[in-house]
Amino acid sequence: MRGVIKGVLAEELENSLRMQKEYEGALKKLPEGCLAIKKIRGHEYYYLVKRLKDKVKYIYKGKISEEEKKQYGEAKELRVKYRKLLSQVKKQIRFLRSSLRGKEAI
Amino acid sequence: MAGILDDLILIGSWCVYFYKDYFSGAPYIDQSTIKTRDIDFLIDTPSKIKRDVNIPELLKDLGFVTIYRGNRGFIKLDHPDLILEFLVPEKGKGTDKPVPLSKFGLNAVALRFLTFLSGNTIKVKVEDFYITLPHPANFALHKLIIFQRRIKEEKAIKDRNTAVGILKALINKGDAAIVRQIFNSVPQKWQKKIIKGLEKVEEIAILNKLSAKGTDV
Repeated sequence: MRGVIKGVLAEELENSLRMQKEYEGALKKLPEGCLAIKKIRGHEYYYLVKRLKDKVKYIYKGKISEEEKKQYGEAKELRVKYRKLLSQVKKQIRFLRSSLRGKEAI
Repeated sequence: MAGILDDLILIGSWCVYFYKDYFSGAPYIDQSTIKTRDIDFLIDTPSKIKRDVNIPELLKDLGFVTIYRGNRGFIKLDHPDLILEFLVPEKGKGTDKPVPLSKFGLNAVALRFLTFLSGNTIKVKVEDFYITLPHPANFALHKLIIFQRRIKEEKAIKDRNTAVGILKALINKGDAAIVRQIFNSVPQKWQKKIIKGLEKVEEIAILNKLSAKGTDV
């Protein structure tokens, strides 16, 4: 038996590993890119800004609906949140793995 | 979210932390329980849920992700700081399928013995809202039943230690009569399990309190 404390830490490691997968999956599901607005002679033009390999591409979107604008806005917010939480989860995994390294049952 | 809490009973190891108010004035150390991030909420009667609130959607803004566990698809709400899971008491023959909680946009795991937790509850003030918890005596006696069903030994030890710690705190507080009354109210089969659990850890003092007849301590 690995001991109560190690048992809890091992359970938490399992949880964090699952969360890492979930956040990576959730990030993949979000629509790619960000919406950028360019104002040219008083008119607004929408572009989707995406990173393709090592280049940033501006893809012209033409007119877009309010609904689509809202979706891109929400996706942007969620992406920031998920990335921050994913980084937190990765730190937890590092900590838990190092805590579980010893052989002593505690 | 505070409104939804009226329909939920907090169960699991986090109760021990919130019992500190109940034990104010009596020696009680909640740190004795090592807590995971799992927070389990019990919904005693799903059909009585009044509010239509999609909890996963509500918590999405806080960064919670919804996961579907196992091939049955039990829902858990994950966040690096907290993991939420919902439970309902198992009724009749029982089921291994998730119980839908459509008003909350969730499903729940049905487990045995949970009516024992929902049957006697207390309310604890946390900041500006109240949470419902099982009475510490019910919580501890329930732990004494379930620790014997645990597969993982370390989890069993954790449950057992928590139960013993709370029972001792109740006795020190002068609530031995309440513990005995609750113990006497459960079916004999459960009583035997509780006794067996206490005998395993040789908690003679607690066993004596449970078996004492008519004498309040």
